[in-house]
Amino acid sequence: MNIAKTSYMFDMLLFELRDIVGKEYVSVRDSDKEVYSVDYFWLPEMCHDRQDRSNITRPMADFIVHPANAEDVSKILKIANNYKIPVTAWGGGSGSQGGALPVFGGIILDTKRMDTIYKIDEQSMTVEVGTGIIHQTLEWELEQKGFSTMHDPGSARCATVGGFIAHRGTGVLSTKYGKIEDMIVNMEIVLPTGEIIRTLPVPKTACGPDLNQIFIGAEGTMGIVTKVTLTIHRLPETRAFRAFVFKDLETGLRVGQRLVSENLQPSVIRLYSENETKEVIKKVLGIEKTGAYMVYGFDGKKDMVDLQMKYAQEIADSEGGEDLGAHPGEQWWNNRYKFFFPPYMYRLPQCFGTLDTVASYSDIQNVYNAMKDVVEKQYPMARFIGHFSHWFPWGAMLYGRFIIDTPPEDPHEAIYLHNSIWNDALRAAMAAGGVLNEHHGIGLKLSRLTPELYGEAFQLLKNVKTTLDPNGIMNPGKLGFGIG
Amino acid sequence: MNITAKELNTIQACRYCPMCRQSCPSEFINYKESDTPRGRAMLLYSVYKGGKPFEASTVEAMYNCFLCGACKSWCEGQELGGYDIPELVKFARRDIVDQGLAPQIVQDIRNSLLVHDNTQALDKSHAFTATVEEKRADVLYLLGEGVDYRYPEIARAFVQILQTAGVDHTLLKSEPNSGKELDLLGYRDDAKEKASALINRIQATGCRTVVVSDPLVYDAFKNDYEQWGITLEAEVLHVSEYLLRLIQGGKLRLKPVDFTVTLADSEFLGRFNGLYEIPRAVIQSFNPVQFVEMQWHHGYMQSTGEAAFTFDDKAFGRGKDLGEKISTKAEEAGAEIIVVLSVTAKQHISATTSLKVVDIVEFVNEHIDIF
Ligand SMILES: Cc1cc2nc3c(=O)[nH]c(=O)nc-3n(C[C@H](O)[C@H](O)[C@H](O)COP(=O)(O)OP(=O)(O)OC[C@H]3O[C@@H](n4cnc5c(N)ncnc54)[C@H](O)[C@@H]3O)c2cc1C
Repeated sequence: MNIAKTSYMFDMLLFELRDIVGKEYVSVRDSDKEVYSVDYFWLPEMCHDRQDRSNITRPMADFIVHPANAEDVSKILKIANNYKIPVTAWGGGSGSQGGALPVFGGIILDTKRMDTIYKIDEQSMTVEVGTGIIHQTLEWELEQKGFSTMHDPGSARCATVGGFIAHRGTGVLSTKYGKIEDMIVNMEIVLPTGEIIRTLPVPKTACGPDLNQIFIGAEGTMGIVTKVTLTIHRLPETRAFRAFVFKDLETGLRVGQRLVSENLQPSVIRLYSENETKEVIKKVLGIEKTGAYMVYGFDGKKDMVDLQMKYAQEIADSEGGEDLGAHPGEQWWNNRYKFFFPPYMYRLPQCFGTLDTVASYSDIQNVYNAMKDVVEKQYPMARFIGHFSHWFPWGAMLYGRFIIDTPPEDPHEAIYLHNSIWNDALRAAMAAGGVLNEHHGIGLKLSRLTPELYGEAFQLLKNVKTTLDPNGIMNPGKLGFGIG
Repeated sequence: MNITAKELNTIQACRYCPMCRQSCPSEFINYKESDTPRGRAMLLYSVYKGGKPFEASTVEAMYNCFLCGACKSWCEGQELGGYDIPELVKFARRDIVDQGLAPQIVQDIRNSLLVHDNTQALDKSHAFTATVEEKRADVLYLLGEGVDYRYPEIARAFVQILQTAGVDHTLLKSEPNSGKELDLLGYRDDAKEKASALINRIQATGCRTVVVSDPLVYDAFKNDYEQWGITLEAEVLHVSEYLLRLIQGGKLRLKPVDFTVTLADSEFLGRFNGLYEIPRAVIQSFNPVQFVEMQWHHGYMQSTGEAAFTFDDKAFGRGKDLGEKISTKAEEAGAEIIVVLSVTAKQHISATTSLKVVDIVEFVNEHIDIF
C-alpha cells in the first residue's frame, strides 16, 4: 500500500480512521512506524541493526490504529475493504515469526486498548477478557483471587492473549494444562468484512464444526479476535520439582513418555539434548555432566503431589537416572523468565532461530536427529541445540535452535543463509514426521513453506480464506497466503 | 553529543527486548509502541548508530517517558540490576536540548522555571513562602513547588508539627527552585545554576538539617548535586525520615488511627533512593493502626507520574490515568486512607477515588495531639 503523506487520499483515510477511534488513537508518527516495523523476528531486527552499514529497508505501516472494542474494529475493517488496504493485527509484537509486520503497508491494528477483564466466573471457572490484555496483567489479576489460567509462557509479560491465540501459544505448564487453544471456551471475532460474531457459548458440543478452530492459529489472516473466555484453575497448594541426568537422549525421551502415559500428570517436563545438557548443567549447577538432563514437576494438593513424585522417581530410577535432587528444578522455576532478558538471550549481530516442532513419540527422536544433522553437517558455522518441553499423550515438542555467531556482513547474504537453514531443517523435520512449528506460528518467516506442509489440503485453507476475506486485506503475506 | 558506552549498552540491550513493556505507564496511557522502553531504545539506536537526526516524533517519544524507573525495576537482566532507561532518556533529552530541538512545551516550562521558579508560570506572590519570615535556624523546611504553590495546607501541617515538637525551624522566603525539573527536561547547565543559588540560600540560614518534602528535590540532593560538584554542609532528610525521628524521639504524642491505611510509594524516593521502609515505619508508629499493602508496592509500585511534565506534546494532563490504577488497588486492598509522598501522587490519585488521600505530613498532623 504505502500512501504518500502528500496525497490528499492520506488525509481522507486519516480522517475516516480518526472519526472511528478518536484523534489520539491514530498514529502516523514516524517514530511509531519505525518501532512497529520490528517485532521479535530476527529479520527486521537485523535490518534495523545494520542501518548504519547497509541500505536495506523495512516495510512500514501507513496508519497505526488503536480500537477500543469490536465495534471500532468492525468499522476499521469495513473502511479497509472499501479501499482495499491491508490490515495487520499487532498485539505485543513479541512474535518471533514476523506475523505482526505490516509487510505490505496499510493499517496496523494495535489491539492493546482492548484490555478489559469483563468477568471472572468462579463457579464456571472461566474469565472473559479483551484479547489485547498483556497476559501477565491478566494473571496478576487472577492471582489476587487465587486463580490462574495456567498458561505460563516466557513472554507472558510482553505478549497479549490475542497474540497467543493467533499463534497457538504454549506455556511451561502445558503438559498438564494444555496449550492456549485448550483453554478457550468461546470467542468474539470480527470477520474481515466487518461482521462481529460470537462462537458457541461452550466448546464441547455436537452442533457441527467448531468455528473457534478457523480463527485459532490463523495469525490474524481470518479476522480479529476481540474477546475470549478462557478456563481458569485454582492456584495449586504446592509445586514440587526434581532433576535427573540420563545416559542419553533416547532414555530421557522414554522417561518423559512414561511419565505421561502412566498417567502421572506432570505439569512440567523439560528434557535437554546432550549438547544443551552440558551448557545448562554448567549454568545451573556449575558442574560438568554428560547425558540428557531432565527437570520434571508436579502441582496440586500436597499429598497427591508427594505420591506423583514418588511414582515419577520410580520411573526415573528404573531408567538409571542420576538423581540431582529438587534444587535445580526449583531454581529453574524461580528463574524461568530471567533467561529471556538481556544479556542472556541471543542477540544481534548473532543470527538465530527457534526451530520448534512437534511429532509423535515414534518419530520425535528421528525429527531431532534429522534437524541436528542438517544444521551441523550443512552449516558448519551454526550450532544446534534443543530441548523437549511440552509433552502430549501422543508425542512431544522439540524446541530446537540454531545460532550463528558471525553471520555474513552483507544483509542479503545473511537472509539467504538464514532462510536456507530454515528450509533445510524444516524439510528434514517434515520428512521425518514433524511439522513446521509447534507454538511460535508461521508468520512471514515460514509462510513460503506452508503449502508444502499442507499439500493438497492447502487449497482448502485458501478457499476458507478467500470466502472470509474476499479482498485479501487481512495480514497479507503470512501463513502461506499472498496479497489480494 | 557523543553517546557514552553506558548509554550505548542500554540501547543495545533494550532495543529489541519487549520484556518490561507491561510495567511502562506511558505505554498504557496511549498504547503506542514508541512509548515503551524497547521503542525508545530502538529510536535512539537509529539516532546514535544509524546517524538519523532527531525527528519531532522521536523527540516526543523521549518527552513522553515519565522517568519513573518501572522498566528498570521489572528488568531481570544484567544480574537483576536492570538496564537504566531513565538515564538513557535523560541523556537523549540533554542532547535534544543541545541541538536546539526541544519542543515548545519544554521550552515554555524551562522559561517558566527560569523566570518564576515554578513549572506553571505562576506569579511568585502565589507561593506559600512568599510571605514567610526567613531566619537563622537549626532546621530548614524545603517545600518544593507542589506544596508551595498548590498544596499550602501540607506546609501548614508540617509547620504545626515542627512547632508542636518545639523544633527551631525556618523556611526560605519565596523558596527558590532546586533545578531538578530543569535537569530532567534536559537543561543541565540551568539546573546547576539553580542548584547553586539554592545552596547559597540554604547555607545563609545556618541550618544543620534540611527537611525536604518533594521527592524530586530530595533526589536532586541525594543523587545530582554531588555529581555536579555542588556540596552542602547539612544533612538532608525527607519529611518522612524527619517525622520518624520526631516520633522515635518522643517529640510527638500519637493518637490511635481508627482506619485502614495504605501507602502509595514514590518513584523518586523509592526506586532511586531506596526509601521504602521509613514512610511505612511512620504509619506503623501509630497504635493501633491497620496498615495494608496494595498489590503493587516497593520497587513494583505503580508510578505516580512525579516527573511526567509533558506528554503528547502537552503539559501532562493524564495524571488521572495513573492515579486510577493506584486507587483501584487501594480499594481492592480495603484501605480507607491512602497516604502519599508527593503532591503529584495526591493530585493524581485523589481525582479518581472517594477514599481519603493525604500526604504523610497531613496524616501525622491529623493524628497527633497538638499542644
Ligand atoms: C522473550 C520471549 C519469550 C517467548 N516465549 C514464548 C513461550 O514460552 N511460548 C509461546 O507460545 N511463545 C513465546 N514467545 C513468542 C510470542 O510471545 C508469542 O508468539 C505470542 O503469541 C505473540 O503474542 P503478541 O501479542 O506479541 O503477538 P504479535 O507478535 O503482536 O502478533 C502475533 C500474530 O498474531 C496476530 N494477532 C495478534 N493479536 C491478534 C488478535 N487479537 N486477533 C487476531 N490476530 C492477532 C498478529 O497479526 C500476528 O500475526 C516468546 C517471545 C519472546 C519475545
